[in-house]
Amino acid sequence: MTSRFLSAFVLSIVMLFLIGPFLIIVAASLSAGDNLAFPPQGLSFKWVLKVFEIESFRASFAMSMMLAILGTLAALAIGIPVSYALARYKMPFGETVRTIVSAPIIVPGIIVGLALLRYLVIPLGFNISFALFMAHTALVLPYAVRVVSASMVNLRGDIEEAAVLLGCSRLGAFSRVVMPSIRGGILAAFILGFVTSFNQVPVSLFLSGPGVRTLPIDMLAYLETTYDPSVAALSALLAFMSIGIVFLAERFLGFSRYV
Amino acid sequence: MSDASFLSLERLTLAYGDTIAVKDLDLGIKRGELVALLGPSGCGKTTTMRSIAGLLQPKSGAIRLDGADITRVPANKRAVGLVFQSYALFPHLSVFENVAFGLRLKKVPKHELESRVESGLKSVGLSKFAARKPAELSGGQQQRVALARSMVMEPKVLLLDEPLSNLDARLRLEMRTELQRVQKESGITMIFVTHDQVEALALADRIVVMRDGLIEQIGTPEDIYNRPTSSFVADFVGFENVFALEDGQLKTPRGPISLSSPAPAAVAGLAWRPNTVKLDQGPYSGTVLGTSFAGRTREYLLDTPLGPIKAEIDASVPGHAPGTTLSFDLPVQDAAPLARFA
Amino acid sequence: MFQNRAESLALALPAALFAALVFIAPVVILLSEGLRNSEGWSLASYITFFTTPLNLTVFIRTLKLGAMVTVAAAIIGYATALCIVNLPPKGRGRMVGLVVLPLMISPVARTYAWIVILGRTGFVNQALTALGLTDGPIRILFSETAVFIGLLQLFLPLMIIALISALENMPRDAIPAARVLGANWLQVFWKVILPLTKEGLVIGGTLVFTGSLTAYITPAILGGSKVLMLETLLYQRVTVANDFASASVIAMILIVMSFAANLLLKRLATARTKR
Repeated sequence: MTSRFLSAFVLSIVMLFLIGPFLIIVAASLSAGDNLAFPPQGLSFKWVLKVFEIESFRASFAMSMMLAILGTLAALAIGIPVSYALARYKMPFGETVRTIVSAPIIVPGIIVGLALLRYLVIPLGFNISFALFMAHTALVLPYAVRVVSASMVNLRGDIEEAAVLLGCSRLGAFSRVVMPSIRGGILAAFILGFVTSFNQVPVSLFLSGPGVRTLPIDMLAYLETTYDPSVAALSALLAFMSIGIVFLAERFLGFSRYV
Repeated sequence: MSDASFLSLERLTLAYGDTIAVKDLDLGIKRGELVALLGPSGCGKTTTMRSIAGLLQPKSGAIRLDGADITRVPANKRAVGLVFQSYALFPHLSVFENVAFGLRLKKVPKHELESRVESGLKSVGLSKFAARKPAELSGGQQQRVALARSMVMEPKVLLLDEPLSNLDARLRLEMRTELQRVQKESGITMIFVTHDQVEALALADRIVVMRDGLIEQIGTPEDIYNRPTSSFVADFVGFENVFALEDGQLKTPRGPISLSSPAPAAVAGLAWRPNTVKLDQGPYSGTVLGTSFAGRTREYLLDTPLGPIKAEIDASVPGHAPGTTLSFDLPVQDAAPLARFA
Repeated sequence: MFQNRAESLALALPAALFAALVFIAPVVILLSEGLRNSEGWSLASYITFFTTPLNLTVFIRTLKLGAMVTVAAAIIGYATALCIVNLPPKGRGRMVGLVVLPLMISPVARTYAWIVILGRTGFVNQALTALGLTDGPIRILFSETAVFIGLLQLFLPLMIIALISALENMPRDAIPAARVLGANWLQVFWKVILPLTKEGLVIGGTLVFTGSLTAYITPAILGGSKVLMLETLLYQRVTVANDFASASVIAMILIVMSFAANLLLKRLATARTKR
C-alpha cells in the first residue's frame, strides 16, 4: 500500500516536471495581459490570433514547412535505395556506406551549418535556402535510413524472386512487392524526419539571411527583442501540431513500431 | 525432341562468385515426371533448381525446356514455377490477389482471371480463404496458396524447394498426398529439392542423388533404396554397415578380414542394412555395446573387429544384455554391391 | 540474381555521395582549419583556445553540466522507470506515452516554458514573494541552475525510456529471488537491478550526456551570455569575432566526444548481440 502511494507520488512529480512546462505555456498563451505570466492575467485568444498576424512568423513557418517536407522527401529518395542495398546485397564496403550515411547524426548540427556556410555558401555562391535544404536533407538522412532499414529487416528476398518468377521485371517486383511491404516504415520515416527537421535549431543557426529563416530561429530572434506571450502561443500551437501528427501516426500505423 | 529430354540440363556449371557449386551436370527429365533432387545441404541441389528457374545464370552449359534453349531467357519469361521453402507469399495482398498476381501481370481478362484463380484455390481446398491475408493462415495453408499461385500460371515445370520441411508430421503426410494428386491431375512436370530421403522415396518417380555439385546416382526409388551404387548413397538411404573391399576382403581399421563367401567381381564395396545382419551365427563375433527396443524389432550396436556394427532383429527373439559376446554374419548375397566407394 | 555488386553500389551511391560531399567534406575542412595556421600544420589554435580563461571556464562548465544532468537523470530515471514497469500494462503504456510526448515538442517551446516559470515575473518568483520568502524577485534565469533544469527536462525522457526497456528485459524473477534470499531493497538495487540494467544505463547516459554537451537552445535561452556552453560559445565566437579557429577547436571537441560516446554505444550493442 505504501509502495503504491510512493510510486504514484514519484510519478506525479516527474510527470509534472516533464509535462508541466508545456501546460504552463498553453495557459500563458491564453493570457489577456500584455506580459508573459503564469497564472495568466485573464483569458483571451488575442495572442494566439496575433501569432497569425506576425508577418515574419508566417514567412518562417512556410520556410520551415517547406524545408521539412522537401528535405525529408529528398532524404527518403536517396535513403530508400541505400537502405535497400544494405539490406538486400552482400555489399562491398557496406559498413563504410552505413557509417557515411549515418554520420550526420553524430556531428552536432551547429557544426554542419557552419561548415556548409563557410565552404559551400560563401565560396561557391550557393543560395542560402538551397544550403538549408541540403543541411536538412543530410540531417534527416540517418533517421530515414534507420527507420526504413528497420522496416526491411523482415522483408525476405524470396518474395521479390517469387514476383519475378510470376512475370515481374526487377523494377516491377520492387514497386509491386517491396514498396507496399515497407510502406509503413516509409511513412514513419517521413513523420520522424519531418518532426526532426521542423524542430531543428542548431543546423539552421548560421544558415539564415535576409528573408530566409526557419521558424525556430525566428522564434529565438523574436525572444531577444520582445517579451510578450505571442511566442508562448506559437510554441503551444506547434506543440499541438507535432503531438497531433504523432498521435495520428501512432493511431493509424503504429508509428512506435518503427522508431 | 525425345521424350527423355523435355527438360534437359547440359554440362551445366553453376557458381557463386568464384565458388563452383555445381560442375558439368547432365540431366534429362521427361514430360510429366516427378523428380526429386536429393542430397545433404551444400550438395548443389538448390543451386541447380535456382538455375532452372532463372534466378542464377549458369557459368557454362545449357538448359533446354520443351525444345527451346532457355539458358539466357530471363526468369520472368521462362514459364517455370517455383514454390519457395518459405512460401514467399506477398504479405500485403489477400490470398486471392496472391494467386491472381501473375495473371494480372499477364493482363488476363477479368472474367477469365477470376475463374482461374477460383479454380486454383478450389484445387488446393482454400476457396473459403480467398479474402484472408497470408498471415492469417497456417503454415500448411500458406504453402497451398503458394502452390496455387504457381499452378494458375500453368508453368511447363514446377519447382518446389523443400516442400515438406516446414510442416509438422501430420501435415507432411497430407501435403505429400496433395502434391501427388495435383501432379497426377495436371500432368505437370515437377522437380522438388529435399534433404530427406523418406520424402524423396515416397514422392518421386525418379530420384537424383547429388553430392558436392555432382550427380551421385539417378534411379527409381526402388533402385536408390535397394541398389545404391556408391557408399555415399548407401549411407544416405540407411545402409548402416558399409565396407570397402580390398582384394576380395573387407577393409577394416584392423586390417583386411575375409568374407563369409566370395564377393562378386568388380565391386568396390559392400553395404548391409542392420536388418540383413545375421545374429547368433556366422564367422564373426562382437560384444554388445547397447541395445534398444523399437517395437517390432530390437536394435543392437556391436563392438567388433570390423568396427562398430549395427544389427536389427525381430523383437520376439530374447534380447542380449550389454557385454554379451555374440557371433554374427554379414551374408554376401544380402549385401548391396557398390560400384564406387567414398 | 541479387548478387550484383555494381547494382548495389549504384543504389548506395547517391546517398553516400551526398553525405560525403555535402556533409563530411565541409566538416572535415572545418576541423582541419583549427589544425593549421598561416605557415602550415600547427596546434596554435588549440593552445590559444585552452589558455584563454573564458574558454576553459566554458569547457569545464559544459562537461560539469553534462555530468550533473546525466547523474540527475540516472537517479530520477531509475526511480521513474521502476515505478512505471511495476504498473499494470495499460497504465504502463500511458506513462510511456507521457514520457515520450515532450520529445515531439519543439525544444524551443519546451525551453521557453522555463522563462515563464523561472523569469522575474515568473511563476516561481510570484510564489516566493507571495509566501513572503523573498522581498523581491530573485534571479533564477541566466544561471547554471536554470540551464541545468532546462537540460534535465529536455533529456530526462531519453534516460527513462532506455531504463524502462532495460528493466523490461531483466529476468522476471530476479528481484523476488533476491528478496527471498534476504536482500533488502537497497541491496536488491545495487546487487541485482543495477548490474542487470547497466547497458540501458550506459545507453541512456550516453544520449543524455552527448545531448547536454551539444545543446544549443537551452543555454542560449536560459543561460544567455552569462552562462555560455560550448555551442553557444562557438556561435558567439563566429558571429561576434569571426574567430573560425576557435570554432574549429570547439567543433573538434564536440565531434570527438560525440564520436567516442557513439563508439561506446556501438561496442555495447555488438557485445550484446554476440552473447
